Amino acid sequence: MRVLLVEDDNLIGDGIKTGLEKNGFTVDWFDNGADGEEALYTAPYAAVILDLGLPEVDGLTILKHWRSNKMKVPVLILTALNDVDSKILGLNIGADDYLGKPFSLKEIIARINALIRRNSGYVSSEIKYRNIVFNCDTKQVFLDNKPIVLAPKEVALVELLLLNKNRVLSKNVIEEKLYSWDDEVSSNAVEVHIHHIRKKLGKDIVRTVNKIGYVMED
Amino acid sequence: MKKFSLKLRLMVVLTSFFILIGVLCGTVSWFEAKESTDEFFDTYQMALARNLSSADWGDVNHSVQRHTNLELKNITNADEDDEAIGFAVFNLSGEMVFHDNNNGKNFSFKGYTSAFINENVAGDVWRIMRVKSADKKYIIAIGQELEYRSDVAWDLMEEFMLPWFVGLMILLLFMLLVIEREFRPLKKAAIQIKNRKPEDLSAVDVANFPKEVLPLVDAINELFKKLEQMLQSEKRFVADAAHELRTPLAALKIQLDVLQMCADDTETKLKAIDNLEQGLLRASHLVEQLLTLSKIENSLAESIDNNQQIDWKSITQMLITEYSDIIKQKQLVVDDSNLMQKGPILVGNQALIITVIKNLIENAIKYSPESANIQISSNDGLFIVYNSGIKVKEQYLENLGKRFYRPSGNNEKGSGLGLSIVKLITIYYGCKLNFANKNNGFEVKISKL
Repeated sequence: MRVLLVEDDNLIGDGIKTGLEKNGFTVDWFDNGADGEEALYTAPYAAVILDLGLPEVDGLTILKHWRSNKMKVPVLILTALNDVDSKILGLNIGADDYLGKPFSLKEIIARINALIRRNSGYVSSEIKYRNIVFNCDTKQVFLDNKPIVLAPKEVALVELLLLNKNRVLSKNVIEEKLYSWDDEVSSNAVEVHIHHIRKKLGKDIVRTVNKIGYVMED
Repeated sequence: MKKFSLKLRLMVVLTSFFILIGVLCGTVSWFEAKESTDEFFDTYQMALARNLSSADWGDVNHSVQRHTNLELKNITNADEDDEAIGFAVFNLSGEMVFHDNNNGKNFSFKGYTSAFINENVAGDVWRIMRVKSADKKYIIAIGQELEYRSDVAWDLMEEFMLPWFVGLMILLLFMLLVIEREFRPLKKAAIQIKNRKPEDLSAVDVANFPKEVLPLVDAINELFKKLEQMLQSEKRFVADAAHELRTPLAALKIQLDVLQMCADDTETKLKAIDNLEQGLLRASHLVEQLLTLSKIENSLAESIDNNQQIDWKSITQMLITEYSDIIKQKQLVVDDSNLMQKGPILVGNQALIITVIKNLIENAIKYSPESANIQISSNDGLFIVYNSGIKVKEQYLENLGKRFYRPSGNNEKGSGLGLSIVKLITIYYGCKLNFANKNNGFEVKISKL
């Protein structure tokens, strides 16, 4: 899952990025509001983590711009202002969730997972598909109730396909959603991941459409 | 007297004053009454003498005396005082031929005296005068007890003083009532203030106060206002400080989480540890600056030694030496050739001035790019720190020096308090703090107003 992080504090930004990446997310991190705002228009992000106290353009203004431009991506706002009024203000402007500093990395990951899941129409953190179960929080995959070990990108790809069940995702879209701008992606990376997923979860688990797209369908 | 209430003091002072006046008036009245009665009774005695001396005492014998005694005894409704007057008539050989059948009986015979004489009659002092009869064959002695005169004078004085004294008491009582009534709004206000919650610093209602206490109430209200402002600024400071501490704490928490999460990844682990150290340094720097700021605010509020001669040159050179390592490391060129001993503050508290110069030099060193120039100069009324190679965006200049203000795009981790500490001290010493971009750098100027 590709997540946009807009946070001006070096240590916080670095920590969130590292933590999310360790949990299978792909993170694009911007430390100023202007670049962060622009980034959302250029790549398909599953969620945004937005700090409110940003230099130049503050987080609430950015959020307002996004929402008025019909950007519906779920946004989690972070701020040092922990009073109820600013929480309400943030939520009213269009934030989907709110975290006051200081927060734990686990909490931010859980909330991002929940936001992405809910945005895809799932209520529970466990997604069932045929004979596999995917846990969005723990990122664990079970085949016939037995845990299967997948590489991080494979997990992300399974999650992406499950969250977009019955929709065909092109190779380009998958690359954009799984890799940040910093990653170097080899031309057959997606095919390799699909190959490994089929090997571990069964040949029919993913259907190839017209050689360019993939889908998990009921 | 200091410990007693104003009411009690007023009572005591007024009562003592009235008693003093009473005693003075009484004394004056006493002497006046005494003199009047003396005059009156002397005249009365002389008039009686005139009457008695013109009488014919030749035929007077014992039967006359007896007859007169009886005659007078029969007057039943006399309200007499036997000390009021007494007389006796003697012939020239000293025999008493007639008397008043009272104290006069005890008068002694003496030759003719032309004056009043005080003499002892049966244990009392009497004022007695003696005259010759018209035929010069008799001596008539007429006297009056002195104590009687005093009693009359005393009675007179008493009659004059009593209503005055009663009036005085009524006046005193009335005044106490008035004072009590006038003090009621004060009492009420005191109770109100006493029952207030600590955070309630609203003004005391001045409507019912006597004009005399208004300056005090106004002063209290003024103090309340100042306290309110101080409290507000304290509250804001605490809120700001809590807010500012949240970010470094959040950074520490996140990095700690990363460390726990990536226990198996040595590279990430080492980086997280490094970040944790950075975060701790930042947090402790912030706490230190907060403490410095609060210490300075406290010391400015108290009396500090402000009589120290400030040698700007020595202090600056001492501090430059302190930072020589980092200066070398960043290959900075520090020009201190224009440093004079005199600066914008000639006499003050040295520790505070050191804080000012230290913060400015530290900023210049911290924010300068490598091999930048730092020029520090001072002269009478001026202290300037300039560093080349970096500017502050014009829109940020006016906010510099505000608490916790940090221009964005800042990679150096400051607390946003350094310049506000500098500003606090320079304003305390009546100086002005200026920030400006000059040439290709940034300049901080402290100037005497």
